[in-house]
Amino acid sequence: MRDLFRGELVRLTSEEPGLRAQAEARWQRDTEFHRLADSDPAQIISEKKLKEWFEKQIENGFKPDRYSFAVRTLADDRHIAFFALWLDLIHNEAWVGIGIGEREFWGKGYGTEMMKLCLQYAFTELNVHRVSLGLHEYNPRALRSYQKAGFRMEGRTRQDLMREGKRYDSLWMGILREEWMQMQTGDLHE
Amino acid sequence: MNDILKGEFVRLSSIDPDEFGKAFSRWHRDSEFMRFLDSSPSQLQSQKGMQKSLEEDLEKQKNDRHWFTIRALDDDKLLGDIDLSIYNWTGRDAFVGLGIGERDFWGKGYGTDVMKVILRYAFTELNLQRLTLTVFEYNPRAVRAYEKTGFRHEGRLRQFLNREGRRWDMLFMGILRHEWMEQNGQ
Repeated sequence: MRDLFRGELVRLTSEEPGLRAQAEARWQRDTEFHRLADSDPAQIISEKKLKEWFEKQIENGFKPDRYSFAVRTLADDRHIAFFALWLDLIHNEAWVGIGIGEREFWGKGYGTEMMKLCLQYAFTELNVHRVSLGLHEYNPRALRSYQKAGFRMEGRTRQDLMREGKRYDSLWMGILREEWMQMQTGDLHE
Repeated sequence: MNDILKGEFVRLSSIDPDEFGKAFSRWHRDSEFMRFLDSSPSQLQSQKGMQKSLEEDLEKQKNDRHWFTIRALDDDKLLGDIDLSIYNWTGRDAFVGLGIGERDFWGKGYGTDVMKVILRYAFTELNLQRLTLTVFEYNPRAVRAYEKTGFRHEGRLRQFLNREGRRWDMLFMGILRHEWMEQNGQ
């Protein structure tokens, strides 16, 4: 069987709330990261609040509609990113959000590999029918990465974002189970 | 669209802990009903205790549990309850339990009608892949009703129960999405 939690560059992990909060509090002080990840105004949430939030998730226990991972590099075991999947259990489809907090790992294929692991998990472990995501027009690097992972452009909300005095679109992408299956070579259970 | 919570003789309705607790504690005094419903020893529970535990259950209820009371269409009488729990989301399989507490309504097609409604709900509203149930060997009336609605026999735990000095099997039944679709011309 394939190891669902390991690629060629990264592996998926579960981090202690304290460690995860420490890293994510630092990442969000990078306003460029925040703008790429989110359309909200950049804000700073304390490490303590983040830690409480992650602890709360653990307290709430397993939820069949939410899967959240931290990501570490295989080369030097650095905690560099996170991703999460949210499922609509009735329609059996998922939304994904992904963020690489450590800038030195931008533009080097880490995000593409994370997304590939994420899709493998969604389609072979969670058995969903489709995966959706949203991104901002001003993030062409992410767009290319998602295309490489197999997402297709499905639509756009025109001019709904305003950054630095300019209007940008929100973009919507998706991949269907059958499209992902066709991209796979070899036996999925090897 | 049709009202998917309504059948030919019955409809599914929400649970009122006061009303249902009162009825359920009365049904509990019928030990034959309890033996059909459950493998644990028949016990009595007060109306108040029943209402309290119902309230707690309803409080905890999440999107993996769909629990309804059953009412007659002609006079709105409360007849029983049906409880569908999705215990495996990735396999999209749910377990269903049905109980008609009012004895006057046994053997008259009410159970079959309720099961038809919950099957339609499971496959067209919850989009599930299969439905599972268990039934005791000494309840042939229920087995027939489940067979009529399309459930197939899938297995049995041999001599699982001891009732009145003899041992009985627990039967497993199930229905797959495509089987239901074919039977219902979908």
